[in-house]
Amino acid sequence: MTLTLTVNSASPPLGALLTAEHVKSTVNVAIDQGKETSLKVADSVSFNDVNSIVRYLARLSPSHVLYGTNLLEQAEIDHWLEFSSRHLSGQLGSALQELNSALSLRTFLVGNSISLADFCVWSSLKVNSTWQKYFSEGQAPCHIKRWFSFLSNHEVFKSVGGKWTCASV
Amino acid sequence: SKPLAGTADLDTLLGKNYGALRDIVINANPSHPPLSLLVLHCLLRKRFHVLSTVHVHSSVSNVPPHLLACFEEQDKNQSRHDFQLGFTLIWKDVPTPQMKFSIQNMCPIEGEGNIARFLFALLGQQQDPITATLVDSWIDMAIFQLGQGSSKEKVAVLRTINAALGRSPWLVGANRSLADIVTCCVVLQAAGPVAIPANVQKWMKSCENLPEFNGVYKLLQ
Repeated sequence: MTLTLTVNSASPPLGALLTAEHVKSTVNVAIDQGKETSLKVADSVSFNDVNSIVRYLARLSPSHVLYGTNLLEQAEIDHWLEFSSRHLSGQLGSALQELNSALSLRTFLVGNSISLADFCVWSSLKVNSTWQKYFSEGQAPCHIKRWFSFLSNHEVFKSVGGKWTCASV
Repeated sequence: SKPLAGTADLDTLLGKNYGALRDIVINANPSHPPLSLLVLHCLLRKRFHVLSTVHVHSSVSNVPPHLLACFEEQDKNQSRHDFQLGFTLIWKDVPTPQMKFSIQNMCPIEGEGNIARFLFALLGQQQDPITATLVDSWIDMAIFQLGQGSSKEKVAVLRTINAALGRSPWLVGANRSLADIVTCCVVLQAAGPVAIPANVQKWMKSCENLPEFNGVYKLLQ
């Protein structure tokens, strides 16, 4: 079965693209460019927002454990999905402090491996101009900087980040 | 003493080494009671032995009596270890509901929708990926666009809900799901001056008739 993820290339849904790239060994997702982001999953069902798309892909591929290993981790991931879509766009305000302290003792945001939380929070920061400025001027909070750089050097992040964001910077 | 029915389920769902009584602590603002969490509290009490308590944080004053008494009376002679879950609601001046679980390395969970997802998951229902994701997307739509959107957004969302309810009696699938619980609670609180379309009205009546909604309607009166 091949799913088709249609992406709006003017504002690429990086979290969805990272998730699709990460699960590609078990879920075949073709990427298509269009006007609106959407993942068609059945005749009458499409998901149009990033959080729904990543949840669905993670559930389709449980072997990649992107949605946590138990209910507590799952709840933390839900928390960060909402956080990334609501608090990491535009002005960052106190969100960075909150994120920095959450990362102070962690390599990944939730549990001991990569999850949807890392994909979505990284993606929101990656396209945020305030964050880009902090990062390039060396003003980024230290734990986020360490985590962001660590992820950016991962193969999946390099390929998706390189392919989809060079035009916007 | 022999283990209570349901204990094994919680162990499987949450992982084993988290202590005898699992404590859920929820901070919520009395000016915006998280109705869906009260519905879920009611469902949890059908399934588990829940020790429920209400407290008031010093950041708020004059919490109305019906909010202080939002949990039904329970047997005070039972000791803490007779319970499987602790459910503590603290009325506090917070911008959005927060949940803390009795585990140190877990971050606080913010947002009524996310807490609702967690509480519902404790009931242990299995869903296929499409159904589970449809439920999640209704919850997001209800909380963000209906709960916090402009009147224009609210009208648009109510129209979408109305169309879905024209095709089936519940939002997702043949039975009441978490999508119905959260969405109905948000409509009850957020619709305000916006007119409620016919299918939505009918569906709200069906929700109202569910026993787990009793407490919510009492709170709204």
